[in-house]
Amino acid sequence: MRRFLFLIGVFASLSLFAGEDLFGHLKLAEPLPKGAWELYQIVANRSDKGTGTYEAYNYEWEVEYGVTNRFTLSGGLAGQGLDTSGLLVDGYLPGDNEYSFKLSGAELKMAYNFLAPAKDGVGLSMFLGVEKTWLDPHSGFDKDSLSLSTGVNLQKYFLEGQLIWAGSIGVESTKATRGELEGLPEDFEWPTFAEVELEWTGRTGLSYRFVPKWFVSLEAEFQQEYETEVNLERESLFMGPSVHYGGKKFWLTLSYLGQVRGSGETYEGQPDGYHLIEKTKREIILKVGFNF
Amino acid sequence: MRHWIWLLVVGFAGHWLRAEDYLSIEAAQAQFFGSDCQFQVTSIPEEKALSKAIKKQAGVALHAERIRAWKALRDGKCVGWVFEDNVIGKHEFITYAVAVAVSGEVLDVAILSYRETHGGEIMRPEWLAQFKGKTVDQPFKIDVDIDGISGATLSVRNVSDGVKKLLVLTQMELQDEQNR
Repeated sequence: MRRFLFLIGVFASLSLFAGEDLFGHLKLAEPLPKGAWELYQIVANRSDKGTGTYEAYNYEWEVEYGVTNRFTLSGGLAGQGLDTSGLLVDGYLPGDNEYSFKLSGAELKMAYNFLAPAKDGVGLSMFLGVEKTWLDPHSGFDKDSLSLSTGVNLQKYFLEGQLIWAGSIGVESTKATRGELEGLPEDFEWPTFAEVELEWTGRTGLSYRFVPKWFVSLEAEFQQEYETEVNLERESLFMGPSVHYGGKKFWLTLSYLGQVRGSGETYEGQPDGYHLIEKTKREIILKVGFNF
Repeated sequence: MRHWIWLLVVGFAGHWLRAEDYLSIEAAQAQFFGSDCQFQVTSIPEEKALSKAIKKQAGVALHAERIRAWKALRDGKCVGWVFEDNVIGKHEFITYAVAVAVSGEVLDVAILSYRETHGGEIMRPEWLAQFKGKTVDQPFKIDVDIDGISGATLSVRNVSDGVKKLLVLTQMELQDEQNR
């Protein structure tokens, strides 16, 4: 059944189409024109928490619609697969877990464009999103979460559009409650009361079109998360390149993001200089889409 | 690993649509000046000083290697020029043609090749008609004297800047040569 759902997801998304991203996580400020539909799929591989085995796949299928020339609505489904063993992190990773695919959440987003980069010099869009998930992306076990996010995306063209700078800043507030687990190790902390977290993310990147249809990009992402009990729970800086192919009807972006440094909560025995509880050392992201 | 392979295979299978060329330069020349004209190739100087001067006035640099130009001759007399230029679109070059009168004003503009996802309206005659009669003194700015097209603002800006650039080139190089 899980494999069936996975395959349906892949084919459904690829037979329609996708919004076009030049980067792994960073978004551009350009809106969809009125009446345009886009649909895209993201597959992200997150791996390496320093010890043990940790490999996770995250899937997103999202459809976007240009309600007006400035207002875009989008909705999507998320899924995940996970394989972790030999890694025990108090309060976060309660033990081995493995499955290839489960639906994990749904999301609704909207964006409003205030300035268009080619017309106004700088592009500016504001986004607002709500996300409901029922699986923990780190441990893979049950966790009900509701997140609200907002922020702005900026974009500027240089060299007549051959070089693109993009930046974004956003905040996300999450209320999450873990599900009960049986058979936990002795003295293992697994709180099942509601927790509230506040995360902010700043991203910046440059993308250069080196030949028609092909772009090479570099992006950086800085993120901090605060939580009532511990204040600064985590901080991380990721950087990495992307290569993007964009045609009239088809596009593809492959990105690598490596954790350059991280801090905040750590677990015993982990390598220094990283945050590896909620993050991994690396992410590989593949986005594919077709315009229709 | 299987997940990645699926995406790549299905993804590349979708790459069935190719760039579309809508009009040849010969057809555009005839459309601009009629079939009774002859078109004589005119060289565009690849000089940095000229490119700088054009950028100062038009706001964009001259990329001579992307431009072809012809003098339109009717009964041996110059009646204008035709340019074929390539400007940057979101993904690919946009190829367009401009007819400029001896007086230095735009006679007509045509899109020869447009390969972008959005903004096909840029090829419509009613949108292109707004360039007719424009001279170098006009701003060529979106929402000022050029109608924008949602989803294709970069294309609109670069084509508009390109047309102005060719008018400046005509004024700086070709009109003087014609008057000599």
